[in-house]
Amino acid sequence: MTFNDRIFGVLLIVLAVAYGWGATQFPEPFGGAEGVGPETFPYLLAAVLAVSSLYLIVRPDPDNAWPWSRTGVELLIAVAVLIVYTMLLQPLGFILSTLLAVGTLCWRMGATPIKAYVTGGVAGVVVFLVFNFALDLALPLGLLSFLEVN
Amino acid sequence: METLGYLIDGFGVALAPHNLMFALLGAFLGTLIGALPGLGPANGVAILIPLAFSLGLRPETALIMLTAVYAGAMYGGRISSILLNIPGDEPAMMTCLDGYPMARKGKAAEALAISAVASFIGSLIATVGLILLAPVLADFALTFGPAEYFALFLLAFATLGGITGKNPMKTVVAAAIGLMIATVGIDNTGVQRYTFGVLELYEGVDFIIAIVGLFAISELLFFIEEKAGGGKEKMTVNKLSLTWADIRAILPSSIRGGILGFVAGVLPGAGASLGSFIGYTLEKKVVGSKGTFGEGDPRGVAAPEAGNNGASSGALVPMLTLGVPGSGTTAVLLALLISLNITPGPLMFTQNADIVWGVIAALLIGNFLLLVLNIPLVGIFVKLLSVPPKYLLPIVTMVAFVGIYSISNSAFDLYFMVAFGVAGYIFRKLEIPLVPIILGLLLGPEMEKNLRHALDISDGNWTILWDSGLAIGLWVFAGLGLILPYIVGPLLRRRMKVQTGTGGPEGD
Repeated sequence: MTFNDRIFGVLLIVLAVAYGWGATQFPEPFGGAEGVGPETFPYLLAAVLAVSSLYLIVRPDPDNAWPWSRTGVELLIAVAVLIVYTMLLQPLGFILSTLLAVGTLCWRMGATPIKAYVTGGVAGVVVFLVFNFALDLALPLGLLSFLEVN
Repeated sequence: METLGYLIDGFGVALAPHNLMFALLGAFLGTLIGALPGLGPANGVAILIPLAFSLGLRPETALIMLTAVYAGAMYGGRISSILLNIPGDEPAMMTCLDGYPMARKGKAAEALAISAVASFIGSLIATVGLILLAPVLADFALTFGPAEYFALFLLAFATLGGITGKNPMKTVVAAAIGLMIATVGIDNTGVQRYTFGVLELYEGVDFIIAIVGLFAISELLFFIEEKAGGGKEKMTVNKLSLTWADIRAILPSSIRGGILGFVAGVLPGAGASLGSFIGYTLEKKVVGSKGTFGEGDPRGVAAPEAGNNGASSGALVPMLTLGVPGSGTTAVLLALLISLNITPGPLMFTQNADIVWGVIAALLIGNFLLLVLNIPLVGIFVKLLSVPPKYLLPIVTMVAFVGIYSISNSAFDLYFMVAFGVAGYIFRKLEIPLVPIILGLLLGPEMEKNLRHALDISDGNWTILWDSGLAIGLWVFAGLGLILPYIVGPLLRRRMKVQTGTGGPEGD
C-alpha cells in the first residue's frame, strides 16, 4: 500500500500552491521593489516543495500502518489530555492540573489508577516547589492560591 | 600559538565555580537522558533549553551545561546496548555487537567500564581535533561570501539525511517545510508574511516551541501507540574487576576508533552512526582472526564506542565554525546559540571568543567529569534503565510544558507546541525526517538573508550563486549528498543490518 505518501504528496502540492499564491499577495515593501523582494525566497520554496511532493506521488514509499481502533482512541485521548492541561493550567493552577494530566497519561499508558495519580500529584508538587523556591520561577497556584506564603 | 592562549582563557571561563557546577550537572543529566528509555539526546537537550533560559543563565554557562548534556548523552546511550542489547540511541547500535555478549558472560561491569574509557578516549581525541581544526576552518570560512553561504546551507540540507539515509526526497520535503515555517512573521523589509493577522505570529514561530513539540510530544504519542509503557527487567551488574592490562589492551582500538569517528563527525553526511560502524568494521579487519568479535571481544566494545563519541565531538566543528550543524542534536545546540543572540559561524571565534573557547574547554573538562561519574556511578544509571516509560514519559512531557510555559507564560505557545507534536507524529509515520524541518526553521532567516545579499551584489543576476569555484564545489557536494544515498545507501544499509541483525561475525 502506498496511499500515505500519495495523499500527503497531494496535500503538500496544495500547500505549495497556496504558499506560492500567498507570496504574490505581499504588499510592495517601503522604498519600492528591489531585485529580491520578500516574495523571492517563498517562490523558490514553493517550487522546491511542489517538485519534491510530485516525486512522493510518483514514487511513494510503502505505508506504515496507522493506528485505527483502540490505539487510535488512546492517541486522541492523549492529545485531548494535553489540550485540556493547557486550558486548565492557569485556572486550576499548576499542581492540580498536573495531577490530572500526568495522572491520566500514566493511567492510560498502563499504570494502575492509584499509582498513576499519586505519580501525577508527587510530580506536580515537586516540580512546583523546585520552580518556585529553588529556581525562582512562579508557576500559577490557581485554586490552591490560599496556600500562598509570602 | 594563538590557539593555546585562547584555550587557556577558555579554561578560565570553564573552571569558574558556577560553570564547573553546571558542567557537572549537565554531564549527570546527560548520562541520565542517554540511559533513560525514550529520551534521545536531541529530545533531552531540547527540553532543557527553555529551562536554561528561564533560569536566566549567562550564555556561556547555558552553553557549557548543554554541551555537557550532549557529551553525557553519548555516554548514557551505551548502557542499554550492553545490558539489554537495545541501543539507547542509534549510534550505540554497534556497541551491542560485543557489549551484550560480554554482559551475557557475566562481564557487564567490565564492558561498561571499558566503554566508558573508550568513550573518554574517543571524545578526548576528537576534542583535540576540534581545537586544532576549528580555528583553521573558521579562518577559511571568513572568505565565504553570501553566495557561498547560500550554497553551504544547501549542502547542509542535502547531506543531513546522511549517505545511509533512505529517501533523500523526503529530506528535501522536510527542509522545504521547515524553511516555509521560518518565513512566517515580519521579514527584514518590514513586510508581514503568512501571519494572517495573528499577533503571536508577527515575530515568527519560536523554534524552541517547535523543537520541543516535534521531539517530546511526538515521542509520547509513539510510546502510547507501541504500548511500550511497561518497564524492562531489573538488571544487576557484577562487581568490577578491571586491570590496567585490560585498559592497555583496548587503547589502540579506542585511538583508532576515536580518530575515525572524528573524521566521520566533521564530514557532512557521515555522522555518529557511520562513525561507530566504520570504527567497528575497521577494528575487525585490523585485529583479524586473532579477535573474537561478536562473542564479547572488549576491542569490539571499545572501537565503536570511541567512534561514536569521537563523531559527536567532531560534529561540533561544522556547527561552531560554519553555523551549519550536521546532526539533530547539534541542530538543537545551534537553536540554543541563536536564541542566546550569538551568531554562529566564523565570526563567533573572534566576537565571542570567550564563549567558544569556554565551551571547548568545558568539553575537555566534561569528559573527565563523565569518566569519573560513569565508572563509580554506573549502578545508579543501570537502575534507571528499569524506570517504566509509563511514568517517565508523562513526567517528561510535563517538564516540557513547564519549560515552554516559563518562557512566555502564554497558553498560546503550549497549544502551538501540542500542534507541532501531533504534526511530528504524522511526519514520523510518513518517514519524513524531523531534523531537516528544525534545521530549516533555524537556518531559514540566514539563508534568505544571504540569498538577498548575493542578489543585491549582482544586481539581480542569479548566476552569482554559482560564480566562484568554492560555490560550485559546494553545489556539487550538495548534489552528491542527494544522489549518493540512491547508489551506495542500499549497500551500506544492508551491511549495517547484516552485522547488527545477526549479532555474529560476518565474513565480509
